[in-house]
Amino acid sequence: MPVPDLFFTMMKEEWRMHSTVFGSRGFALFPVVVATFAFLGSLTLPVFSDVLPHQTAALLALVLFLLMGVMVGSFGLMGREFMNRRFGQASLIAYASRSLPVSERRIFAAFFAKDTVYYILLYVLPFAAGFTAATPFVSLDPALGLLAFVSLTLAFLMGLSAVCLLSTLYARSVRLLIGAAAVLAVSGIAVSHSGIPVFPPYAFLLDPAPRPLVLALLLILVPAAASVLLVTVDYPDRTKRFRNSLDPIAGRLRRLGSAHFIAKDALDLLRSEGGAGKVIFSFLLPLGLIWVCLRILIRFIPGIDPLVVFAVLLGVISATIYNWLTEFDSFSAYAFLPVEVAGVIDAKLKSYALANLLPLAVLVLAAATSAGGAGSFLPALATFLSVSAYTLAVTVYLTGLYPNVMLYHAGVFLRYVLATSPALLLLIFASLLNPAYGFLSLLLVLPAALLIARGRTRWRAWEMPGY
Amino acid sequence: MRQMIEAVDLTKDYGSVTAVNRVSFSVAEGELFGLLGPNGSGKTTMIRMLTGQVRPTAGSARVMGLDVADDPIAVRRLVGIIPEQETPPSFLTAEEYLHFVARIRNLDAVEERCDHWFDLLEFGEKRNVLCKDLSRGTRQKLMFAQAFLHRPRLALIDEPLINLDPIVQRTVKDFLEDYVQDGGTVFLSTHILEIAAEICDRIGVIHNGRLLSCGRTEDLAGSGRSLERFFLDLVRGDAGA
Ligand SMILES: Nc1ncnc2c1ncn2[C@@H]1O[C@H](COP(=O)(O)OP(=O)(O)OP(=O)(O)O)[C@@H](O)[C@H]1O
Ligand SMILES: [Mg+2]
Repeated sequence: MPVPDLFFTMMKEEWRMHSTVFGSRGFALFPVVVATFAFLGSLTLPVFSDVLPHQTAALLALVLFLLMGVMVGSFGLMGREFMNRRFGQASLIAYASRSLPVSERRIFAAFFAKDTVYYILLYVLPFAAGFTAATPFVSLDPALGLLAFVSLTLAFLMGLSAVCLLSTLYARSVRLLIGAAAVLAVSGIAVSHSGIPVFPPYAFLLDPAPRPLVLALLLILVPAAASVLLVTVDYPDRTKRFRNSLDPIAGRLRRLGSAHFIAKDALDLLRSEGGAGKVIFSFLLPLGLIWVCLRILIRFIPGIDPLVVFAVLLGVISATIYNWLTEFDSFSAYAFLPVEVAGVIDAKLKSYALANLLPLAVLVLAAATSAGGAGSFLPALATFLSVSAYTLAVTVYLTGLYPNVMLYHAGVFLRYVLATSPALLLLIFASLLNPAYGFLSLLLVLPAALLIARGRTRWRAWEMPGY
Repeated sequence: MRQMIEAVDLTKDYGSVTAVNRVSFSVAEGELFGLLGPNGSGKTTMIRMLTGQVRPTAGSARVMGLDVADDPIAVRRLVGIIPEQETPPSFLTAEEYLHFVARIRNLDAVEERCDHWFDLLEFGEKRNVLCKDLSRGTRQKLMFAQAFLHRPRLALIDEPLINLDPIVQRTVKDFLEDYVQDGGTVFLSTHILEIAAEICDRIGVIHNGRLLSCGRTEDLAGSGRSLERFFLDLVRGDAGA
C-alpha cells in the first residue's frame, strides 16, 4: 500500500477510535475549545502590551508550539511500539504490518504524517483561527492570522522533527545521539554569529520573506527524512528474557502498600520501548528548554526571580507523568480479580508520588543554577508540590484511569483548562511580584484532596456500573 | 447438595439489547456445568454478572452463598475466573504475572504454586518471557494458571480451550475432570459442542439471552440424537419462533 493511502486509512481509523470513545461531537469540539481560548487570550493583548510587547507575545506563542513539538516528537524512540501504544492493540492498521505486504518503515512514515496532521488540526489551526477572529477587536491586520498559522506550524514541526531525529538516534546508540547533539550545538553557535536566524519561524513572522521560510522548511524536512530512514522498527530476533524483578522491587516498597502495583508500573515504564529515553525526550528536554527560555525572558523584565514560575510549569508538566503511568493498563485487566477501582487509582497515585522525585530533582537543579537562594527555593518547592498534586487531582477526577484518551474530549479538556489555568496564572503573576506568594499554592492542597476523593467514587461507578 | 451458583431471573439489558433474559438455573458443588450457545447469545454477559463485573438489570445471583450484587469483591476473592478477552499485562513476564496475582490474593508458597502450573501446562521455559511476546496459547495457559492459583472451589471460565493445541486441550480437560473429582465446581462457557459433550456433566443451552434447555449431558444427547442435532434443532427452532 502506498504511504498516502495508508495515511488516509489511518486518519479515518483515528477519527473513529476517538469518536467511538466520546461520540463524535465531544471530539470534534476539541479544536473549538482551543480556538476559544486563543480568541480570548488574543483579546487581552492590548491590556498587557506594556509588560508584554506584541513581538514578545508572538515569540512566546511560537516557543510554546515549538515545545509542544518537542514533547510529542519523541516517537522515533518508540519505533514499532509507537504504533500501538496509544490505543493498545486497537490500532488494526498498524497491526496489519504482520499480515499485509506493507513495509514497517512506510507504516512509520504514515503514522508520523498522521500524528503531525492531527496535532496541527487539533491545536495549531484552531489556535491561529482564534487569534484571527480576535484581530479586528485589537486593531491588527486579519492577514496576520495566516502568517501566524504558517509560522506556528513551522515552529511546531521544527520541534517535532528535531526531537524525532534525536530520539531515533538515541534508539540506535547513545554515542550517535551525543555526537549529533554536539554537531547541532556547534553549528547553532556558528549560525547565530553569522546573522542567519536561529529560529526561522520567528524571523518569518517578523518578515515573511522566502529566505526564513526555506530555512525553516530545511530544518523540518531534513531531520524528518533522516529519522524515517534511520528508525528501527524491526522486532529483535530473540525474545528477551527477564529475571523476576517484580518481587524485589515490590519488596523494597512494601511499606507503601500496593507495592506490587507500583512495581508493575515501574516495569511497564522501564521495559516498554524507549524506556528511559521517553523520560529524557518528552520530559527532561522540554523542561530544560523552558528553564532556558525563562532565564532569557527575565533579561527583558529585570528584577524578578523565575524559579517560582518555573515551579508552576514544572508542576503542570509533572502531572503528565500520570499519563505515562496509565498508558499500559486499563481496569479491565484487574476486573476479574479481587481488586477495587479505587485501589488501582490509589496505587497509581503512589507511583505518581514516587515518580515525582524526578521533577523534584529538576527543581533542585534549577534552584542551584539560579541566584534566588532559599528565599525563592522554599516557595518554589511548595508551589511545585501543590501544583503537581492539584493538576494530578483534576486529571484523576476528570479522566480516571484514561487521561491519554479522555483529555481529547472537548468537554473534559475545557473543564481541565478551566479548573487549572486560573489558579496557575494567578500564581504566576503573584510570584512575579514576590516569590513568597508561591506559598499561596498550598491553598490548592485541600481542593486536590477533595477532587481525588470524589474521583475515586466517580470512576468506581464508571468502571463497575451499578455497583 | 450445596448449590455453588443459584441464578434467579437473571437479566441484563444493554440499551435496547437484552443480552441475558430472565435466566434461572443452579450449579451444584462438584459439577462441571457448560453454558453452550452460539456467538452473541449471552454467555460472556452471564459470566460477567456471576462474577460481579456487570450488575444485573434484574434478577439475582448467589455464588458460593454470597449475593453477587452485595459484595462482588468477596465473590471474586473466592472464585477463579478466566475472562474471555483479557490477556496478561504486556510488560510483566509470565512468572511475574503469577506472582502479581498471588500478591493480590495474599497467597503463600508462591514459588511452589507457580512451579506446579508451569509443570502441569508445560510452559516453564517461558516463565521469563514478557507476556506480550508469548504466543496466544501460552497466554491462555497463563490465564488458566492465574485462575486456579489460589485453588478456588469454584471456577468460572469463558471459552477456556480456545487457542490451545490438542495436546494442551487434553491436559486441561483432564485437569478440569480431576478438579471436579476432588470436589471443585466449574462453570464454563463454550460454543464448541464436542467440548461440552465430552467433559460437561450438565449443559445449559442459551440463545438470544434465553436459556432454552438445561439438563444432564446424557439426557440431552441421549435420546438417539447427537448433541449437535439436539443443539441445532433447538437453536433453529428458537430462531424460527
Ligand atoms: N458492553 C456491551 N454493550 C452493549 N452490548 C453488549 C455488551 N456486551 C455484550 N453486548 C451484547 O450482548 C449480547 C450478548 O453478548 P455476549 O458477549 O454475552 O455473547 P457471547 O455468548 O459471549 O458471544 P461469543 O460466543 O461471541 O463470545 C450480544 O448481542 C452483544 O452484542
Ligand atoms: Mg463470549
